[in-house]
Amino acid sequence: MQGKRHTGESEETGIDLAPMLDFVLNLLIFFIITTSFVKEPGIEVNRADAETAVHREKGNILIAIRPNGEVWMDRQEVDIREVRSMIERLHVERPDDSVIIVADKASKSGLLAKVMDAVRSGGIQEVAIGAAGSSE
Amino acid sequence: MRLRRHFHSEESTGIDLAPMLDFVLNLLIFFIITAVFTKEMALQMERSGAVAGQKESGSIMISINAEGEVTIDNRIVDVRAVRANVERLHALKPKYGVMVVANQDAQNGVLIQVADQVRQGGVENISFGTSE
Repeated sequence: MQGKRHTGESEETGIDLAPMLDFVLNLLIFFIITTSFVKEPGIEVNRADAETAVHREKGNILIAIRPNGEVWMDRQEVDIREVRSMIERLHVERPDDSVIIVADKASKSGLLAKVMDAVRSGGIQEVAIGAAGSSE
Repeated sequence: MRLRRHFHSEESTGIDLAPMLDFVLNLLIFFIITAVFTKEMALQMERSGAVAGQKESGSIMISINAEGEVTIDNRIVDVRAVRANVERLHALKPKYGVMVVANQDAQNGVLIQVADQVRQGGVENISFGTSE
């Protein structure tokens, strides 16, 4: 009888998990909502400094242009002719995506223009040029 | 006694929250790790189909040649002087946007610097074209 009372008491004084679960679920929902699935290009490029560069809240497809003319998006090197079809596919998946083209300082303007045209013909009109902010 | 046994059995058939909590914590850790809080810095630029020499009406023309020299009004200016020039032209023609025409072999670093200077000069409406 004494043993039984002892186990019953420890059962009662055990930590109630329900409030903790509520809290953890709230945290979970917060992180699910704030997660933006940014398509990283997969390489680092040498960005040009710009004092007036602004933070882009949206802008989750990054396309990088290297000095040697390689175009990278979604962690792989792509041909300039593939950019349009990839953008079309991504645009269908998530229609509110926008694109930031991160061009290396030493890359050529002609290629930047080609990539920009490919993105726009792929259906995404919001295109910005990536830069490094000098102040922040 | 009968009541007590009934109560006890109800207690033991209640859902055990611990495995669910384990699962939810794992999900939480996954989302914390994959969360990306980096905000990209970028400059907004429109694309224009115009080519060099074809003066687009209603805009200030800035051209960049293959060597990275910047030309405004047929004068070669330093990259750092673009801002002052744009400020002057913007004061004369406040409604004009800026059209940057870069040679296709010009480096993008110069292009971005010019766009930055133009924005510092007070013009937000920048369009970008290339020339052969």
